[in-house]
Amino acid sequence: MPVLALDAGNALFKSLADGQDPTAKLRAGLLLEQMGAQGYTAMAVGQRDLVLGVDFLKKKTKGAKLSLVSANLVDAKGQRLFPASVVTTAGELKVGIIGVSPASPDPKGGDSAAFLPPGVQGQPVQPAVAAEVKRLRTTEKVDVVVLLAAVPYAEAVKLAQGAEGVDFVVQSHDGRGVGMAQRQGVSTLIPPGERGRQVAKLEVSVEGTGPFSDQSEANRALESQRMVEANITRVKERLKTEKDEATRRSLQETLTSFEARRDALGRTAATSAPAKEGRTFLLSYVQLGADVASDKAVQQQVERVEPPGSAGH
Amino acid sequence: MSPRRLVALALLLLPLVAGAAPKKLVLLFTGDNGGEIAPCG
Repeated sequence: MPVLALDAGNALFKSLADGQDPTAKLRAGLLLEQMGAQGYTAMAVGQRDLVLGVDFLKKKTKGAKLSLVSANLVDAKGQRLFPASVVTTAGELKVGIIGVSPASPDPKGGDSAAFLPPGVQGQPVQPAVAAEVKRLRTTEKVDVVVLLAAVPYAEAVKLAQGAEGVDFVVQSHDGRGVGMAQRQGVSTLIPPGERGRQVAKLEVSVEGTGPFSDQSEANRALESQRMVEANITRVKERLKTEKDEATRRSLQETLTSFEARRDALGRTAATSAPAKEGRTFLLSYVQLGADVASDKAVQQQVERVEPPGSAGH
Repeated sequence: MSPRRLVALALLLLPLVAGAAPKKLVLLFTGDNGGEIAPCG
């Protein structure tokens, strides 16, 4: 099955003050190099990726297959600093991947708390995304649109609710960790995990058009339905032998309640089950714990930057 | 129907049948790595 690896941003530095750390530049350089070597297609440029400036990012990714994307970061002249998106074909699917970064604080006041380097401006997020989605859908005719949203969570929720044409919004900025896929209006918000502790794995199946449905909702409903069905069987067995009238009435009420629950779960399973011409996804996480073996060559490079026993370890 | 026409029909229908299977893709996401390069960093 074709696989695409994408990063939602804020990959390179621990904090905005990380530029003072002498190993920070080495770590960020190694991360970019390895993301390219490991076949990442794209990464959104987050606030914490800009600690050493735009030139550092461009220099480190020059000639690499990894594309840094941001639809709204511009220079002082209003020229875009990175491509807004990248389009790639994976198997039979054409996928558009948009990046978006935090907006600069509104001079008239607002809730943006972005700190961007001098000469870098973050234009308003929603219009930048809407324009790029339109281009991908109408000109590039992509099958799937993924938005790598390196913006605060509240902004990502707004994007997911209103960005018509975006299938998945993958958010980074606040280090929220793992979670469930959340349907938010027209899109689905996906938590990508944090601090390299896990990889979010989204299995996508596409047939026809329309919104994606969460396969796990149908699976959860079917699992619950099986448990309720088992309880119904047990209650029916007891009813066969129970003689006491009061107990029988109580069991009958329980049975009615279980049957109503079973039917409701059946409806949930039916509505969330993939239609024959539907589009579905299933989200899971691969934990990168001690049971996942290190790549020896990469480990050697890591240990050159952070020797075992150093402060970073 | 002649065997030749049957083969032609089968060939014509083949892309439709092949196209009926859903297109699959795995998307792997990371984010908020925060400069981590070592598991215990």
